[in-house]
Amino acid sequence: MGTTFILFLSASIFSIGAIGFLIRKNPLVMFMCVELMLNAVNLVLVAYSKFLQSMDGQVFALIIMTVAAAEVVVGLAIILTIFRTRHELNVDHIDVLKG
Amino acid sequence: MYPHAWLILILPMLGFIFLSWYGKRVSKTVAGFIGCATIGVAFLITLTLLAGLLISDPAERVGNVQVAYSWLNMQTFHLDLAILVDPLSVFMLLVITGVGFLIHVYSVGYMSEDPEYARFFSYMNFFIFSMSLLVLAADFFFLIVGWAMVGLASYLLIGFWTHKTSAVLAARKAFVMNVIGDVGMVIAAFMIYDHFGSISYAEVFSAAPAKFMANDVDILLITLFLLVGAFAKSAQIPLHTWLPDAMEGPTPVSALIHAATMVTAGVYLIARCNVLYMLAPYTLFLIASVGVLTALFAGAMGMVQYDIKRVIAYSTMSQLGYMFLAVGVGVFSVGMFHLMTHAFFKALLFLGAGSVIHSLHEEQDIRKMGGLARPMPITFATFLIASLALTAFPLTAGFYSKDAIIMHSYFSEYGNFVFWGLALLGAGMTGFYTFRLFFYTFLGKSRSPEAHPHESPWVMVVPLMILAFLSLFAGHLAGWVNEFLAPVFGGHVPHAPHDSIMEATAITVSLLGIVSAIGLYLTGKNQLEFVKTVGAPLYDLMLNKFYIDELYNFFITKPMRVIGKFFEQRAEREGIDFAIDMVGDQVREVSRQISVLQSGKVRWYAFNTVAGLILVLVFVIFL
Repeated sequence: MGTTFILFLSASIFSIGAIGFLIRKNPLVMFMCVELMLNAVNLVLVAYSKFLQSMDGQVFALIIMTVAAAEVVVGLAIILTIFRTRHELNVDHIDVLKG
Repeated sequence: MYPHAWLILILPMLGFIFLSWYGKRVSKTVAGFIGCATIGVAFLITLTLLAGLLISDPAERVGNVQVAYSWLNMQTFHLDLAILVDPLSVFMLLVITGVGFLIHVYSVGYMSEDPEYARFFSYMNFFIFSMSLLVLAADFFFLIVGWAMVGLASYLLIGFWTHKTSAVLAARKAFVMNVIGDVGMVIAAFMIYDHFGSISYAEVFSAAPAKFMANDVDILLITLFLLVGAFAKSAQIPLHTWLPDAMEGPTPVSALIHAATMVTAGVYLIARCNVLYMLAPYTLFLIASVGVLTALFAGAMGMVQYDIKRVIAYSTMSQLGYMFLAVGVGVFSVGMFHLMTHAFFKALLFLGAGSVIHSLHEEQDIRKMGGLARPMPITFATFLIASLALTAFPLTAGFYSKDAIIMHSYFSEYGNFVFWGLALLGAGMTGFYTFRLFFYTFLGKSRSPEAHPHESPWVMVVPLMILAFLSLFAGHLAGWVNEFLAPVFGGHVPHAPHDSIMEATAITVSLLGIVSAIGLYLTGKNQLEFVKTVGAPLYDLMLNKFYIDELYNFFITKPMRVIGKFFEQRAEREGIDFAIDMVGDQVREVSRQISVLQSGKVRWYAFNTVAGLILVLVFVIFL
């Protein structure tokens, strides 16, 4: 498996995540899409780490995963609270913060 | 040589600071004690200064400058924080702290019922501090600082009873009038710096005679601008209208500030700058003319007023006119001597009036007084002495000072027959209005039967007696004062030749004034009505103070209002406000349209992010 293949795979996963984020209305699914995008990036970082014989990429991947985990905690807590107060989960209806 | 002179400034300042910070927390006794004690000690220090000057050689009495430190030191401008101890400043300090101390003691009794007792004494101490600074200043800078601060003290004390609208308005009027004078002073100071490169008295006065010829335009301008300040402070025509209104303040304030000390600052200023004024005989002529005219007009207005304090206020203006006449004809020490005797008997008159007002529960209309001689014997006696001194009755203090002025107004180098005649006429008026007031107040039957007048407490009566003593006997100091002040005035000791006929005329005219007051107010009411009907137009004019207030109102205040209204409407509302509002409206409109982008919808934001990303990619890759 060459680096090219991994880059194509990563690009595909990123696009799936981006499109999913744009077209789905359920915040949970959107969240998963965000994770897809993040991990697509991780894949690229790890691939390049191997390609360039440098550990920097793997370190970055670890940092991104840590941040992503922390972010999921906050995000899920918010989603949970919204569901408890509104009894529904549709991002198009959550538009209180408009200018 | 006299470093302790600083204490004269420091003590009243400390009293002022203490009473403003802790005045509400200490008892009235403590507040009154601090107010009086600081001034009393300052007076004692002044006496030591006087003693120091007297034992020193006459040549060394002038120019004792005490420098505390160099305050400003620039290439072209140098200013020390310094005071000047010389016969003139010590002479003024004696009057300020001496009469000031007596009036402070009197105030302990007069203000005893007032809830704002401590505030009153803190302002009074502040005034003494400012006035001492004014006379002790060794340069024009601190002179102007003191000049402005006595104006502030006057403003605060005239408007002391803040619940009285008339008092607040009078305070404002006095302040505005005084600021006109301050502006004149500042301009004069700039001009002096421009010509001399310095504003310290010593340098300016020593350089002036070599620098200017008599009646040079520049020296005339300098003296005239200084004169604006002097006229405003000393209530001379045309800047006199604030003084009668200033009577809205408590009576001790009228006695201290608006009779004995602050209003005489103008005379002091001219005496202090005598070197400059001697170089400007035209200005001297103007001073003498304005002085004698003020003496006449103020006397005329005083003859018909019914408010006890206003009558005395007009009399003050009139006597200030005499002082200006004296310095205007070049006999500075005679003017200063009248300043001193006037401080005694005018303070006494005001304090006596205060005693009357106090015992009649704030009644100031002399038509409602009368018959007070029996219930208030000491006030009656001291008021009589003050009245006699004011009318220059022979052997009282006023006789020596005022008659000297009248004599010099003819015999002096700058005097002439017209000054003499007008001064004489003013003296007759003085006799008339003083005794009219006296008869109204103390003689006849009581005109308000429900009142129960009583003699004032000792703390008020004792200062009256001391001042009465001074009003009777201070006249004998005339020769000494002239000698003592001579070093400041270039060693000039004025001597008027004895002319028994002219002296007799002066005495006769004064007595004539008294006699006509007796004729009109003691013996016959019919004559009074007759005079009022015959002289109706003149009487009307005098009663309305020659319509000068109305004149100012019509020619200055009203046009100012109209201009102000115009600019408020056209410039402010339709110009500035409109422009600012328009900018604000436009910004708000644009933001409202842009804010559509912030829909609050997450997917819309996400779409924009992705679209932006793609755009950037396209830009980077293909362009």
